[in-house]
Amino acid sequence: MKNDKTIPRIAVGALALIMSGAASAEPVEVQWWHAMNGVNGERVEELAKKFNESNDQYKVVAVNKGNYDEVINSTIAAYRAKRPPHIVQIYERGFMTMLLSDAIVPVQDLMDKTGHKVDWSDFIKPVAGFYSYKGKLAAMPFNSSSPILFYNKDQFQKAGFDKPAETWGEFEKQLYVIKKSGAAECGTALATDYHWSLIENYSAINDQPYATQANGYNGLDTEFVYNKTLVVPQVARLKKWLDDGVLQIAGQGFSPEQLFTSGKCATYFASTAAHSGIERNSKIAWSATFMPWEEGRQPKNSTIGGAALWVIKGHKPEEEKAIAAFFDYLAKPETQLWWHKATGYVPLTNKAYEMAKSEGYYKESPTREIAIQQLNRGTPTDNSLGFHFGNFTQSMFAQREEVEALFAGKKDAQQAMDDAVKRGNEVLRQYERLNKGKY
Amino acid sequence: MVATTHEPGLKHAHFQTAGLPALLLLPQLLILLFFFFIPSIRALMQAFLLTDPFGASVHFVWLDNFTALFASDSYRNSIWVTIWFTLAQNVVTITVALVLAFATDRVVRFQSAYKGVILLPYAIAPVIAGVMWAFLFNPAVGPIAFFIKSLGIQWDPNRNGSDAMLLVVLAASWKHICYDYIFLVAGLLAVPRSLMEAAAVDGAGPIRRFFQIALPLLGPTLFFLTTMNFVYGFFETFAIIDAVTRGGPAGATNILVYKVYQDGFINLDLGSSAAQSVLLMTFALLLTLLQFKYVERKVNYSI
Repeated sequence: MKNDKTIPRIAVGALALIMSGAASAEPVEVQWWHAMNGVNGERVEELAKKFNESNDQYKVVAVNKGNYDEVINSTIAAYRAKRPPHIVQIYERGFMTMLLSDAIVPVQDLMDKTGHKVDWSDFIKPVAGFYSYKGKLAAMPFNSSSPILFYNKDQFQKAGFDKPAETWGEFEKQLYVIKKSGAAECGTALATDYHWSLIENYSAINDQPYATQANGYNGLDTEFVYNKTLVVPQVARLKKWLDDGVLQIAGQGFSPEQLFTSGKCATYFASTAAHSGIERNSKIAWSATFMPWEEGRQPKNSTIGGAALWVIKGHKPEEEKAIAAFFDYLAKPETQLWWHKATGYVPLTNKAYEMAKSEGYYKESPTREIAIQQLNRGTPTDNSLGFHFGNFTQSMFAQREEVEALFAGKKDAQQAMDDAVKRGNEVLRQYERLNKGKY
Repeated sequence: MVATTHEPGLKHAHFQTAGLPALLLLPQLLILLFFFFIPSIRALMQAFLLTDPFGASVHFVWLDNFTALFASDSYRNSIWVTIWFTLAQNVVTITVALVLAFATDRVVRFQSAYKGVILLPYAIAPVIAGVMWAFLFNPAVGPIAFFIKSLGIQWDPNRNGSDAMLLVVLAASWKHICYDYIFLVAGLLAVPRSLMEAAAVDGAGPIRRFFQIALPLLGPTLFFLTTMNFVYGFFETFAIIDAVTRGGPAGATNILVYKVYQDGFINLDLGSSAAQSVLLMTFALLLTLLQFKYVERKVNYSI
């Protein structure tokens, strides 16, 4: 008779225990949408896993949503459907779009609110400067890169050179010798993001104004002016190289990186993040160096590319705590050092950079330091801070079309850049009209 | 009661109440509602707005999106590109499909293998087909590009707009020939043998028989196929363009449907993209109406 009552009681008690246990052990989950594929995609998964193993309160679920364009589109769709993820990785070009979207929580506010003390002053300046608005970080810097010059050591030696020359003029002569002597079939492979390395960063390094209002940092009424700068002879030079077979376009169905790693082209201007792919795939003896600059100029810092992590607003307080804990983990020098080594992206804090230096990492991999040194070079001017343009993807796209018209011989360099600036300014004016008074 | 007092035929409903037919129509109507009418109406509304992608600021701008489009060189270029592309694709597809279909009868051995080979491209996903074409014709690595260049012909679809256009026309046609082929083979089978035989007895050779008997009798089929080819060229070639040229170089292959995608999903200019899709829909509608009004009259449906 006794048993009749005790068994259900025990069962209920056990059930309650299991349920309460489940409730307390179940970590708070946050969704992180990212755009990293290939080797770097594996690293992102690893990073989330490392964070999840480091604590039992919070869990980050990393979901690959395709490339950068697809991530921002998915984010917009999810936000409009009122089911947004917590963290999204958005390319640097989308900075203004995200900043004035009313859809985000500035990361510095989030960290303050959740009581995390982050030493923001330790963040590498060109990176923090890019993602800051009114002195506060709006997004968590994540994968930051800068373009560098990769080259084939054997082919340079065969043509009688130690390494690429420092200035564009001398470098151009080298490429022609390499091509003519047959050391390589082509001098350089045109990267798909050449607008970033060979036009935007070219302007920053050579201290050329790209647009008024400090390249958009000081106001939405910024106007492109690169049709009156060294950019015009720069794109004319690229056209000449193309005509002479010194420059090779990889085109659709093929990657320019393969033109370099297969030994067809002697050099490749690419993001420092190309390290992981080049290390894995190339059978050539390669090295890397700084981007060239124009003769007689004091080279300035280059600017960043890559992406940052944005926090979408409207999530529960405990989820915001989870996001903050993840960012806290991300900012740790150990995490940064691991990420830097694993991917080729630059470390985000000076502490991580110092750690890499003191453990002799750059003695074994000297090319990994180039981007950081280049980013930190000299004092940034208004022309080298970075680029803050609304709908920057759209004006960049117009510029690329005009460069293609130049390459096809339909326009000369001046005409192409005039038209690119005109189209770009229309994009800027539309953005200004839409966001008046918000910046 | 059941439709007995009137002349029999499909024109008259055989239902006594409206309930059952409505029920039977419902699934189709729901699909149309959710996948056509609601998106179309939303696109139409969006076309009059200037908005940021997240929808934080929305301005009603009347026809600004449309006037901006017609003032823009790249949009006008896109219209021309679309016209050339669909016309060329239509001519190539129908001509090749006609020749192949007419030859089917003449292939005595391995006829099923012959048909199989022709139908194969239809089974290949457009993106895969596009990547393959892009690769084969890539001047840096493609074997066909090497062959073309070895003949002394300049070839670079990554730089030269007309090369790129040729490439996407070929790729799009190659993918669609089999579709036209099936209809044309069926159409040719419907041509009475007696007519052909009589003509042969009268001394008409195969070419004359083709132009004077088969072709006129294929009229309705050809009319249907041109309409379908235009629809294909307008909308379904997106994946091929994306894989082969991405609308480049310098917009040389940027057909309207691809531009809608590019401006909407890459450039995040939703108002302009919506206005473009409204215009594209209007163009397609007008074209189909024109075809029915003027071309269909000349088509002889009876034998």
